[in-house]
Amino acid sequence: MANVAAGAASPEKATPPEGDPAHTRRVSLANGRQLLERVLSLREGSIIVVTIVTALYFALETSSFFTSANFKTLLPYFAPYAIIAAGEVFVMILGEIDLSIGAMYLFTPFLFYKLSASWGIPLVPSVVIALLVCMGVGLANGFFVAVIGINSFVATLGMLFTFEGLALIISHGETKSIPGAEVTHSEVSVSHIVNGHHIVLKETVNHIGTFAKIFGAGVYSELIWALVIVIVLQIALTFTRWGLYTVAIGSNKLGAAEAGVKVNSVMIRNFVLCALTAGLVGILEAVRAGSVEPDPAGSNEILFFAIAAGVIGGTLLTGGSGTVVGALIGALFLGILRDGLILKGVNANYLLFYTGLAVLIAMTVNIYVQRARRGYSGSG
Amino acid sequence: MADPLIEHAVVGPASAPDDVLRVEHIAKRFGPVTALRDVNLHLKKGEVLGLLGDNGAGKSTLIKIISGFQKQDSGQMFLHDQPYQPKSVDDARAKGIDTVYQDLALIDELSVYHNLFLRRERLLLPLPLLDNRRMKREARAALDEIGINIPRIDVSVARLSGGQRQAIAVARTVSSASDIILLDEPLAAMGAKEGAQILDLVARLKEEGRVSIIMILHNYVHVLEACDRVSLIQDGVIALDKPTAETSVEELTDIVVNEYRRARAELHEEGAAPPA
Repeated sequence: MANVAAGAASPEKATPPEGDPAHTRRVSLANGRQLLERVLSLREGSIIVVTIVTALYFALETSSFFTSANFKTLLPYFAPYAIIAAGEVFVMILGEIDLSIGAMYLFTPFLFYKLSASWGIPLVPSVVIALLVCMGVGLANGFFVAVIGINSFVATLGMLFTFEGLALIISHGETKSIPGAEVTHSEVSVSHIVNGHHIVLKETVNHIGTFAKIFGAGVYSELIWALVIVIVLQIALTFTRWGLYTVAIGSNKLGAAEAGVKVNSVMIRNFVLCALTAGLVGILEAVRAGSVEPDPAGSNEILFFAIAAGVIGGTLLTGGSGTVVGALIGALFLGILRDGLILKGVNANYLLFYTGLAVLIAMTVNIYVQRARRGYSGSG
Repeated sequence: MADPLIEHAVVGPASAPDDVLRVEHIAKRFGPVTALRDVNLHLKKGEVLGLLGDNGAGKSTLIKIISGFQKQDSGQMFLHDQPYQPKSVDDARAKGIDTVYQDLALIDELSVYHNLFLRRERLLLPLPLLDNRRMKREARAALDEIGINIPRIDVSVARLSGGQRQAIAVARTVSSASDIILLDEPLAAMGAKEGAQILDLVARLKEEGRVSIIMILHNYVHVLEACDRVSLIQDGVIALDKPTAETSVEELTDIVVNEYRRARAELHEEGAAPPA
């Protein structure tokens, strides 16, 4: 393709010799330009560029950024947000917002604790029941917004307070150890060679159960959950009727209804999805930490970061347009920013301040790159 | 009928043997506002019926009831002599009635072909995934067949002109294999040339004789050109029902203007009456 394009652009040199260095350079230039155009024509294009630039900055500024150890540190900074944002994007494309994700994030692990530790229900069924309750809350959100007609900001704000309050009530305000996340220790003898001598040392090895490995405590568990959920939901958004109708409702609700789209049912479904992803992340994070604290302030921060990830990733708060992959990259941007600032040794008190400024700068750059993108792209 | 409003009305027979659709005694209120009081209407096979009336006369409400978007308070409808009560827009479409609404029901953010196939999507069965390639191909064929020039069908409809948007909305209905098509102001927002294209399309459909059309129009010249028959709604009832060959722009204008003068006189009387 690139060869054809370059050839067509310079017909006077239609058949240059194969090894001509000038020709090769021109083709690679054309390739580079095409790649840039291709990236910028994506809805996620601008945030991809912004994220890469941010990562490069920290890679140059700190020696430890591009290391596998730091990659593992980075994971919990973005994978949970990517999952919640994936659900939130489906609500934001409708032109609505779901604030109750903060409450679902906080409440669900306590419900899981209650089911499993207090009532003795096995681990996996407890997870399933807890997530079904989440979906029930999402159903209620959708009902209030779509059927009764309460503004989604207000309806889900009510739900946010209600279920964060309920989390405080059922936990009695106490931190709980999450069942299934216990760490066991065993001592093994490991032989080392020191200065040519074999010596045997006892070392403590930590073990976590299969349940915990799958539900968040495994090193790559949350990353795998995030990638699978983002891929599945992006496919649902782009290549299924559900996604098509979600965009249609966000773009023209009356028109979608007149065309025969069952608006209420799609809206309710998206609120259910959103509550489900938030509840799942609540459980994953609680299992990863081994315990869960009744801290509404912390869960509210999760809520705002998830919405920020969606918006930074290119999803409009006004509805009609959005991307799940973009939200993942938006979450990655926020994660890289936080991780990079910590690596640079920024005083902890300055972290939120710098994050806020960086979000403003990123969104400004985002908008300018999007404007440039309109010049390249055929579709809006 | 002692109703003073219908006294002067020129209303033809409310049914014919070859009716595909009959509407009887339809009434619809929105809170204190009566949109339709007692509407009787029929549509013959292959006929183009022009539905006239001033703004707020209830034309769009009637269209929305027939298309299954709203439900009437009372009255009945018959489709091919069978009782017809659509449960939804989808239900009406399944029974062969499709509609182009005044607001076009187009989705700006979606591409031309996704708009054309909204609610009739082609899927890669058994997978629940959209068959975009097939929809693009069929959309291109459908647009070419009805002779509407849309250079690119993978761009969002937000980028099209008013006339092109209208054309897409009409094409969506025409390509849906319905046998009754309702067009709510298909010439709104159209240039003269684009409007002529839509009227040509209607004429071609009439020639084919497969579909019957109810069309809301405001321009009486267009009505006389494109329609076989006109029904005029005034104050929630059909005040006139005539073949276009037997009426004229003058007659239609007279009725509407008289109605306006009469209503104004009534309002004046009410205003002059002493408060009870």
